[in-house]
Amino acid sequence: MSVPVRVRNLEKNFGRYPALRGVSLNVEAGELVALLGPSGSGKTTLLRAIAGLEQPDAGQVLFGDIDANSLSLRERRIGFVFQQYALFKHMKVFDNIAFGLRARPRASRPSEAAIKAKVLELLHLVQLDGLEARYPAQLSGGQRQRVALARALAIEPRVLLLDEPFGALDARVRKDLRKWLRELHQRTGHTTLFVTHDQDEAFELANRIAILDHGRIEQVGTAAEILDRPATPFIDSFIEGIARRNADQQSREWTKPHVVVSR
Amino acid sequence: MRLLTRRSIALGAAALFLSFEAAQALADRTLLNVSYDPTREFYKDFNAAFAADWKAKTGETITIEQSHGGSGKQARAVIDGLQADVVTLALAGDIDQIANKTDKVPKDWATKLPNNAAPYTSTIVFLVRKGNPRGIKDWNDLVRDGVQVITPNPKTSGGARWNYLAAWAYASKQLGGDDGKVKEWVADLYRNVPVLDTGARGSTTTFAQRGIGDVLISWENEAFLVQKEFGADNFEIIVPSLSIKAEPPVAVVAANAKAKGNLDVAEAYLRYLYSPEGQKLAARNFFRPVDASSADPADLARFPKIELVSIDKDFGGWSKAQKEFFADGAIFDQIYRPTN
Amino acid sequence: MAMSDRFLPLAHAPERATSETAFTKVVLIGIAVLFLVAILFLPLVTVFVEALRKGWGTLFENFGDPDTLSAIRLTLLVAAIAVPFNAVVGLAASWCIAKFEFKGRNLLLTLIDLPFSISPVISGLVYVLLFGAQGWLGPWLSAHDIQIIFAVPGIVLATVLVTFPFVARELIPLMQSQGTSEEEAALMLGASGWHTFFKVTLPNVKWALLYGVLLCNARAMGEFGAVSVVSGHIRGLTNTMPLHIEILYNEYNFVGAFAVASLLTGLALITLLAKTLLEWRFAGELAAKAHRH
Ligand SMILES: Nc1ncnc2c1ncn2[C@@H]1O[C@H](COP(=O)(O)OP(=O)(O)OP(=O)(O)O)[C@@H](O)[C@H]1O
Ligand SMILES: [Mg+2]
Repeated sequence: MSVPVRVRNLEKNFGRYPALRGVSLNVEAGELVALLGPSGSGKTTLLRAIAGLEQPDAGQVLFGDIDANSLSLRERRIGFVFQQYALFKHMKVFDNIAFGLRARPRASRPSEAAIKAKVLELLHLVQLDGLEARYPAQLSGGQRQRVALARALAIEPRVLLLDEPFGALDARVRKDLRKWLRELHQRTGHTTLFVTHDQDEAFELANRIAILDHGRIEQVGTAAEILDRPATPFIDSFIEGIARRNADQQSREWTKPHVVVSR
Repeated sequence: MRLLTRRSIALGAAALFLSFEAAQALADRTLLNVSYDPTREFYKDFNAAFAADWKAKTGETITIEQSHGGSGKQARAVIDGLQADVVTLALAGDIDQIANKTDKVPKDWATKLPNNAAPYTSTIVFLVRKGNPRGIKDWNDLVRDGVQVITPNPKTSGGARWNYLAAWAYASKQLGGDDGKVKEWVADLYRNVPVLDTGARGSTTTFAQRGIGDVLISWENEAFLVQKEFGADNFEIIVPSLSIKAEPPVAVVAANAKAKGNLDVAEAYLRYLYSPEGQKLAARNFFRPVDASSADPADLARFPKIELVSIDKDFGGWSKAQKEFFADGAIFDQIYRPTN
Repeated sequence: MAMSDRFLPLAHAPERATSETAFTKVVLIGIAVLFLVAILFLPLVTVFVEALRKGWGTLFENFGDPDTLSAIRLTLLVAAIAVPFNAVVGLAASWCIAKFEFKGRNLLLTLIDLPFSISPVISGLVYVLLFGAQGWLGPWLSAHDIQIIFAVPGIVLATVLVTFPFVARELIPLMQSQGTSEEEAALMLGASGWHTFFKVTLPNVKWALLYGVLLCNARAMGEFGAVSVVSGHIRGLTNTMPLHIEILYNEYNFVGAFAVASLLTGLALITLLAKTLLEWRFAGELAAKAHRH
């Protein structure tokens, strides 16, 4: 049920500002690709263009062999997880997850009993058993993140798009969720494209990494390929931090407070 | 959500119900009389009498609707499309406005009924508080320092224009017709006016209800009415040595009445004003009847004898007076400076 | 003063400041309370005292007067049309403005505010200029025997115009602060536009909407200026409650005037009460939202 996603020469301008300048990218079925790049490089724009929330000025997006332009948002069947979760705050966790199923046209809508079974199964999958009656405001950040993911998974998406899924969480929780997401992906096998600021996260989680700068893809490859043969000087300087951070790993705990005090 | 839908259904149903009711009320023939402020009480009585008379003569039930307001404002509303069958206003100038700006009233409307189409007359008198504490006897007392005079704005009120002209006539007689001095005198009078209401009724409530001012320049009928409403011993009427004969005219708004199929009733309605019954009711409501023969002698006894000037003889008619005194930039604008 | 302050021991400064603030606070609160009592509370009490001057019997007698009944009915009818209309159109306009970028968006925003910034008398006069016998559409209307001003349609139109901003003004800031992410999430989950609107957008603004509707209703029933211009003041036909109050007052029927005034005030107070209850609910929801971030 997972399909490959092909992006061809995608261009998007906001007014005169070019946010995407001829982006091409292939994500194979079941592959997990990380989209890495500095702030403002166009990561969110690319994800939104694939999802159909943004109309590209030129270029093409294909799901398998089908041109995305010929599909409505519903027909695209994309599980999208937003940077700020975008949970429906007036609905309980249960209703949030059930939303996509209940929004289906009557003919293909499952029975309430089937919906309930599905929601409970998803809750179990994201390890939130027993929290279905809570409102989003009553959850921690990490829990909300997992509700957002469960809600996206409920529609049995063909592609998962995650925009900085762990961006708003503290380092400890991020690490746990990172591990959990990798396991989840191994189990479900969705074609997944996820945006991150965090190079460590990208290199640890993804099958392949695409590095974006100024609306262009600078390099696509596995972690090893990029670390061994950075394609451009930009990539070189961009990934420089990773090696240094690996070396600094132990000293990090006490350098941090020191930085705060010196301000 | 559910709350909202239920609410809007209820409102919709209410709207339907109400408009249905309104439609029902319109089934009989109705006549609209657009009048000025101080005639409310008179037409309340008169409408009942006319409806009874019409019913007796024709068997038809007629409903008469009333609209009251400043005379000039009412004329404007008729010009703008208020569907009046008849107008009963404070002065001929306002009906002339309707005749000039539209063709709803014929230009010669004043010749259609006796006495220049004025079925009753009135005049201008003073109303003072109990015991006349400021000792006001005549117009001259109104220009004294420290006397507060209440009168409405001649730009918007018909009654106020009569007040103004009566004062002018008095001063003109006293000062031997020297227009410069008369202007001075009238300017002194308006310097004593603390509140210039837009209509005669507004001035009356300012004086009687809110207790502002020492003397109210007022329609005679309005002054009597205050005594009736607020107690005869709380206010005194002072009759000046000279006043003006005010002739509030009436006319059929022919175009409207014809369109509504009301021409016959509208004409009968105005003719009934001149009938013995109409004249009697006018006298009872403190208007001076043009034909006193059928009025109650007790009612007539209330009207004091006053020397009266006339708008046509002494001021050359309304259109001349309007241009000379009340038009933009004319004498009233020159002499009146708001003090606060 | 400032100079000597500077040489005071540092430790004393905060103490002085707080005691000064406390004094100022008491004075300010005192002034505010006095002001409220004198300007708002006393006149309100007067309305009811005057209405009851001749006892409850006379009060209810006055409500039985056919002209009064007709004024009450007309007021309710006008509110019953203007309020739902403005709720729906205001909701649609707010939705467009808050959730979409389009040409003329700022113009639309300004237009929505217009009835607030121009005098109600002018709002009324605009309709006279438009629909009056001498107005632009006057000849056409009278040729087709359609009466707009000096009749119920004109009163409804004037009320709609004057009360239009209330719903939109309540909703636009809220919708803007909520952004479009929940709607986008719903669309990605396969919901249709309508489903998204009714299940996501509307529930998120329902309290603000109701609040706006209440304000709109209060003004619709109380509007005087604009309605006065287009009413024609025909007794028992085109007088709303506020106009009827003025007429009764001008007829020296003070008890009658205050009887109707007390009814209108009562309706306003009920609206205010409902509004306060809503604010209370609304505050809870806002707090929940703040907690989320
Ligand atoms: N709706 C918009 N209107 C105008 N400019 C926009 C809009 N959305 C994005 N941009 C611009 O496009 C560029 C790319 O934005 P985008 O959100 O894709 O960056 P990003 O890589 O996701 O950055 P971040 O890591 O900070 O989230 C930025 O310069 C941004 O200012
Ligand atoms: Mg982004």
